[in-house]
Amino acid sequence: MARRSKLNIFIFIFLLISVVFPLINMVLQIDFSNNSFQNLIISGAFKEAMFNSLFVTIIGTVISVLLAFFVSFTLNRTNIKHRAVLKLLITLPMLIPSISHGLGLINLFGANGIISRIFDFNIIGSVGIIIGSVIYSFPIAFLMIDDGYNYIDNNLYDTAEILGLNKWQTFRKVTLCYLRKPLLSSFFAVFTMIFTDYGVPLAVGGKFITLPVLLYKEVIGLLNYSKGTMIGLFLLIPALISFLFDTFFKDYTISDGNSKKYVVKANKLRDIITNIGVYLIIIFITILLGSFIYYAFVNNVVLNNTFSLIHFNYVINNGIDSYIFNSLFISVLVAIFGTIISYFTAYVTARVNNKFVKILHLLTICTLAVPGIVLGLSYTISFNGTFIYNTFIILILVNIIHFIATPYLMAYNALQKVNPNYEVVAKTCNISLFKIIKDVIIPCTKKTIREMLSYFFVNSMITISAVTFLFNTRTMPLSLLINNYEGNMMLGEAAIISLIILIFNVIVKGVIYLINRREHRMECMYGTN
Amino acid sequence: MVSLEVKNLSKTYNKKTVLNNISFIVNDGEFLSILGPSGCGKTTLLKILIGIETCDSGKIIKDGVEINKLDPSKRNMGIVFQNYALFPNMTVLNNVMYALNIKLKNKKQAKEKSLEILKMLNMEEHINKHPRELSGGQMQRVAIARTLALNPDIILFDEALSALDADNKLILKKELKEIQKKFNTTMIFITHDQEEAFSLSDRVMIMKDGNIEQIDTPHKIFNNPASDYVKSFVKDHLIEKVRSIEKCTGIDL
Repeated sequence: MARRSKLNIFIFIFLLISVVFPLINMVLQIDFSNNSFQNLIISGAFKEAMFNSLFVTIIGTVISVLLAFFVSFTLNRTNIKHRAVLKLLITLPMLIPSISHGLGLINLFGANGIISRIFDFNIIGSVGIIIGSVIYSFPIAFLMIDDGYNYIDNNLYDTAEILGLNKWQTFRKVTLCYLRKPLLSSFFAVFTMIFTDYGVPLAVGGKFITLPVLLYKEVIGLLNYSKGTMIGLFLLIPALISFLFDTFFKDYTISDGNSKKYVVKANKLRDIITNIGVYLIIIFITILLGSFIYYAFVNNVVLNNTFSLIHFNYVINNGIDSYIFNSLFISVLVAIFGTIISYFTAYVTARVNNKFVKILHLLTICTLAVPGIVLGLSYTISFNGTFIYNTFIILILVNIIHFIATPYLMAYNALQKVNPNYEVVAKTCNISLFKIIKDVIIPCTKKTIREMLSYFFVNSMITISAVTFLFNTRTMPLSLLINNYEGNMMLGEAAIISLIILIFNVIVKGVIYLINRREHRMECMYGTN
Repeated sequence: MVSLEVKNLSKTYNKKTVLNNISFIVNDGEFLSILGPSGCGKTTLLKILIGIETCDSGKIIKDGVEINKLDPSKRNMGIVFQNYALFPNMTVLNNVMYALNIKLKNKKQAKEKSLEILKMLNMEEHINKHPRELSGGQMQRVAIARTLALNPDIILFDEALSALDADNKLILKKELKEIQKKFNTTMIFITHDQEEAFSLSDRVMIMKDGNIEQIDTPHKIFNNPASDYVKSFVKDHLIEKVRSIEKCTGIDL
């Protein structure tokens, strides 16, 4: 009991220092005198950026969620082959930074893009931001909706048939009823992602300035932290609404999982249309990612498109190894420490029932409502001058906090399912809490732990928003190089960086997949848990 | 062999009295069932006895020594749960050996003793299996073996047979009585099932709303119910019995 209390207090202090203090401190730094807040709101630049942000976000969100719904419907409710491979390909864009999606679009549809040169158009501006944002956000919406399909009680389809409901009525009363929460959650999540992202607008926005880009320019270009913070507060709004929705929206559909498999009925026309749609999306994603390879290994896309290692040699000669080291160092440590912190926080909140742990739970999941760029800004303001500033420690810490909510919830859900009596058995048998966690509870949740490690690693490799104000030349991670190269129109070099990040993330995901598969086979063979 | 005395035990949760100044004695080697509906306070009583919950007032005396403030591991009591609480990542043998190994600090001795107990419970052919490969009855045997291996003075059973099917329940009830005779261990069996309580126990303690309605032998409870509540309890049980005989024999009683 005493050990758990110490753990509670340690986690509480950690969250106070790393979440509550920087955010409150950031708000306190705002200069409210001289009507600065009103001046900001009525300023032309802010109004334009706000309008632009809302414009691209609303359109991007609607397209993204509709596309995600279409793909998840096709993979779950039509006859389509190789579902697992297709699912993997659809989620590939999640393994590269958002700025790389913008870069891919420039490669294809920019002023000298592979496709725009043939058809003579380019998509720099709002159209580019919308397309880039959709590619960046729709895999996440897809995963949320796809997961929702697992909880639909398939017996209800038989019931609907017996009751004589037609296809549309069945879709509305059964499928949509169960998917209501995932659809709304994905809508809010995607809205927040697009509204707060500055990677895509920075790459393809051109003169079309959105709020996060305005914040970035105010802070990086003009060192106007006060104005940057005020803009940051606006970026918090959709994230807060999304967080409140997910926390308080009650879903009244009940499902204990499915014992009955959904049987896809034959419908050739439906299959042809949906399959073509999904394959077109995958072809587009593949071309977008393929453009990195093309740009990376072609001398000059416009003047001399022969195979060349010129860009490759350039990045090597400019010390790519140290950036790779930085990124791997940060991501590995974020994965290790992030997993340890979120796992033990979840252990306390999932297996102890008192009011204090509810505060810990709320504090941890509220980090979901803080966009990376705002968190990064709050760290810059709050930790400037401390011993962690300008070191790897601050980059690791900001990444842990930026991504902690999702792995924490993974662990929380997994630990709630672990038999609640293990600790009682341990107490009566004189087994220490540490030993029972090490020997029983961790092995019972090892698959979740691997997913947590992978989540922290992949996201730390691709993030730019959380670290953009906090790095220096010595600690700069790989993902920020894309911004530098792209800004200097060195698209081949930027493509190489995107590829390197993609390769590392694919390796980590692949290793986790292989370990899980091997373990699953062992379980089938020996019947172990 | 150890006796247990509970004196004036009370517990209140959010102003609701869960245990109301209850007192009783469990004799050496006795099989006592605590019977009552959900919310009568029996699980809270179990938690307090084992030491994972504190009482507001009262004393728990084991073998003449007050154990209220003792850590669960120092009370030398074992517990068997309805959901078995076996460690899914360990084999049957390792489940039994795990705590024993820590206690004895001798792996060889721990293994020998574990094998001996598993053999007594007819589980020797399953020692290398994992819990998910076992039936409910087999899992409960492993849970009992794990508890017995530590030589507890008292074993508490928390609805330990409730998750089993009728056949397994019948077999395990018989085995529990045999185990009790063989090890001469004091057993406290918490249940809401009258059939289990009356068929297994030396004495039955009937609880209602945090109070003890009656504590006596099954025979005396049947013949001299102490309250209307106990009377209705017994009546229900008798009707159930008669119906089951009617069903088996086809004779209308």
